[in-house]
Amino acid sequence: MSYLETRVKSTPTGLRKVLFLNWPLVLLLTSVAGVGFLMLYSVAGGSFIPWAEPQMKRFALGMTGMFMVAMVPIWFWRNMAAVAYGMSILLLISVEFFGAVGMGAQRWIDLGFMRLQPSELMKITLVMFLAAYYDWLPAKRNSRPFWVLIPVLIILLPTFLVLRQPDLGTSILLLTAGGAMMFLAGVHWAYFAAVIAAGVGLVSAVFESRGTDWQLLKDYQYRRIDTFLDPSTDPLGAGYHITQSKIALGSGGWTGRGFMQGTQSRLNFLPEKHTDFIFTTLAEEFGFVGGISLLGLYTLIILFCIATALSCRDRFSSLMTLGVAVTFFLFFAVNMSMVMGLAPVVGVPLPMVSYGGSAMLVLMGAFGLVQSAHIHRPR
Amino acid sequence: MIRTPLRPLARILPARDKGENPDAIERENIRKRHVEMEGKARNRAEGRLLVLGVFFFGAFTVVGARMGHLATTEPAEPVATINGAAIAAQRADIVDRHGRILATNFETHSLYAQPPQMVDAEAAAKGLAAIFPDLEEAELLKDFTGKRKFIWVKRRISPEQKQAVHDIGDPGLLFGPREMRLYPNGPVAAHVLGGAGFGKEGVRSAEVIGVAGVEKKFDDYLRDPANGNKPLELSLDLSIQAASERVLLGGMKLMNAKGATSILLDVHTGEVISMVSLPDFDPNDRPRPPTEGDDPSVSPLFNRAVQGVYELGSTFKIFAAAQAVDLGLVNRDTIIDTAGPMKIGGHRIGEFQNKNYGKLSVSDIIVKSSNRGTGRLALQIGTKRQKAFLGSLGMYDPTPVEIVEASGGQPLVPERWTDLSSVTISYGHGISTTAMHLAAGYAAIANGGNYVSPTILKKSGPQYGPRVMSRQAADAARHMLRKVVKTGTASFGEVPGYAVGGKTGTADKPKPRGGYYDDKVIATFASIFPSHDPKYVLIVTLDEPSVMAYREERRTAGWTAVPVAAEMIGRVAPLLGLRPDVEPGQVAGITLVNN
Repeated sequence: MSYLETRVKSTPTGLRKVLFLNWPLVLLLTSVAGVGFLMLYSVAGGSFIPWAEPQMKRFALGMTGMFMVAMVPIWFWRNMAAVAYGMSILLLISVEFFGAVGMGAQRWIDLGFMRLQPSELMKITLVMFLAAYYDWLPAKRNSRPFWVLIPVLIILLPTFLVLRQPDLGTSILLLTAGGAMMFLAGVHWAYFAAVIAAGVGLVSAVFESRGTDWQLLKDYQYRRIDTFLDPSTDPLGAGYHITQSKIALGSGGWTGRGFMQGTQSRLNFLPEKHTDFIFTTLAEEFGFVGGISLLGLYTLIILFCIATALSCRDRFSSLMTLGVAVTFFLFFAVNMSMVMGLAPVVGVPLPMVSYGGSAMLVLMGAFGLVQSAHIHRPR
Repeated sequence: MIRTPLRPLARILPARDKGENPDAIERENIRKRHVEMEGKARNRAEGRLLVLGVFFFGAFTVVGARMGHLATTEPAEPVATINGAAIAAQRADIVDRHGRILATNFETHSLYAQPPQMVDAEAAAKGLAAIFPDLEEAELLKDFTGKRKFIWVKRRISPEQKQAVHDIGDPGLLFGPREMRLYPNGPVAAHVLGGAGFGKEGVRSAEVIGVAGVEKKFDDYLRDPANGNKPLELSLDLSIQAASERVLLGGMKLMNAKGATSILLDVHTGEVISMVSLPDFDPNDRPRPPTEGDDPSVSPLFNRAVQGVYELGSTFKIFAAAQAVDLGLVNRDTIIDTAGPMKIGGHRIGEFQNKNYGKLSVSDIIVKSSNRGTGRLALQIGTKRQKAFLGSLGMYDPTPVEIVEASGGQPLVPERWTDLSSVTISYGHGISTTAMHLAAGYAAIANGGNYVSPTILKKSGPQYGPRVMSRQAADAARHMLRKVVKTGTASFGEVPGYAVGGKTGTADKPKPRGGYYDDKVIATFASIFPSHDPKYVLIVTLDEPSVMAYREERRTAGWTAVPVAAEMIGRVAPLLGLRPDVEPGQVAGITLVNN
């Protein structure tokens, strides 16, 4: 009797869980990672070293991790959420003291076999903790000011710590993902409207005050903001990445120059070509078709997550899954916008494709949680 | 949901009476409430999810659309901007009246370095120092290894130098295209064109701005991309301009003059067909402007035709004669007593070489160039009318020619216009104008009495301004001018077949501190041709000419400016499409009935 014929009325147990994994999602993740391997192979000039091989090893490690996380019942993770969050915060604080300084920012803790980036871990533990919080909180208290204040503090604490490193990209991600979690949990929309209105008001006040007597910021700060928002005014300084990547995208055209034929990225015009700006290599070598295909893969991953979330009955599983989807979405949306000059450059990697250990491992772990929710959903 | 309160007891009791279990009912009600709450929460969650989904969809659409947009657009190289101002690259060409190029653009390259991209700064510095001897290797190396991200190495390099830099092969050495203004004809029409230089400079381009001549006057037009690179059409004729320059240069050397200018004007349209000022320069490599203290008129940049304000002497006499005829005071044959002595306001008016011509007809006053004769005409005309007449010929304003330098050609006129002023001005002293003013005045006589405003732009058809004298007066003046060449002071001006008419003028040059030199003159010949149906005015002016003829040093226009003008007319008239013609009424042998 194959498992297909089994109409399981209860949660699977033991090794049979493997059969109930969300296999299409596994397949999608592997394809996206495969695109990453191809690109890393290409930017290294047709070599597995120095990037593609370590990336494959890490993917294998991540895949194992994902299966392991998936096997553990989702309620265990719910109970562990607070602990995970607390540990992440402790790690974040500890980078302040023990962290290695890299690229002008203090982000890593050297564990010996790998460098741990607590801010990456934080992205997922924050989502977990918020999901657990709203699972615990009776729905009718959702919108009461005190019970709104608590998650706000839960979000702001790591955001502040990450911003101090400084890592603007990750803090924006944390803030946005946390806000999305609160929104999905059903906090009254008036809170969001108020926050957005206040934000818009503040920003416009800052800009309105420019050149008047009550100017809120110093002149040089405005100039920095100008360059940040419109890097094209400084094509050789702040705007260098953007102009080069736009050139790469444009030279790719519809179908691209062909695998390993990209010039812009391989001729060292682009710094960080293997990390944050790897999308330009893809767009240059495979053109619009390649870029939109990757976007399609990402979209499918998000859709599978949403489907899992809808099939879950408990708040933790649903919120957790959606939170992972939102985080994942933010990763690639911000990265792509940044590479294409739609958003300022804030250092967010392209998920599963960019070279980088922590981000990939953490994301695989997060998808492990999604798988766990999928396996242990009520039937 | 309407809650049914089970308590107080009043309701429980009847329920019990009916045999129902109130606890069970309550449990059931609580369960229903929970289901409903759950459903509500779920609806809300789904609503929120929908909002999120819409947001996701929007983001996907934007990212996808942007990707498509970037894929379809040609990648634009970044343009460095200063204060956000875009640098316009293309400048419109300037062409002559037949569309031949006078000024165009030429692409060269600038060389800059981006040290962060440099592979081997030492080799690059060494290579550059070898290619450009004026660069210091040590300095370059310091720049390349320092913190700077961007360094200009050379503003303009030749193709050979570019190739040599290419051969160094360092990716940190980069070239930016440089649009350069090119004047393919070299010094031809230099003073009209002026020149151009670089304004704001960026990596990918530099702004070309006009610095003199029409380049500056029409800078906005030439730079405006909205004109679609439509060339600026000048009235100049390249062949005639070039021929005029050769003839004038030869004449200037032959007459030992230190400067010369010539203007060829179409009398009906006011178009300047050629305009020469010598010495000249190459606008591709403009000399530095004269430093303060130097006499600007010595600089080759000085445009004598529109900036050189001089007393033009006897060439002005024709205006007095023409006006006297126009007012009906005299006709060509009216006899005027030119005998001396003549004293006006305590000043004696004398003749050239103290001659005494006695009684002369008005024609002969012009032919012999009698100062006292024109003085008498001026006194008959009167100060007021003379002043108004010269004003109508535009003698008091800078010429309207569209060259920036023209506005500097402000004529000098007496502050108080006395009888003495009237008399001296009638023979061209006491009023200083440019050759262009004189050309405009002669054009009015030549075209039958209409003022035309000199222009450097191509026009079509006559551009008559207001009438300044009657046709009869203009015709009379025309005949007098012709007679000057046939029998008078400008007899060297005869060019067979072109019936030249004109008037000479030799004016002593003023000393900087008052008074006049007795051995330095401005010699001018103002001519019209062909005089029976004038089409062109030609002014030739020589600065300090001096030539030995018949064992005597000659400076007067008749010996200097006139032969140069005659040579020029002989050269350019065929180029203008004028065929040699027999003058009407002058046919030798058979005289036909003349109407």
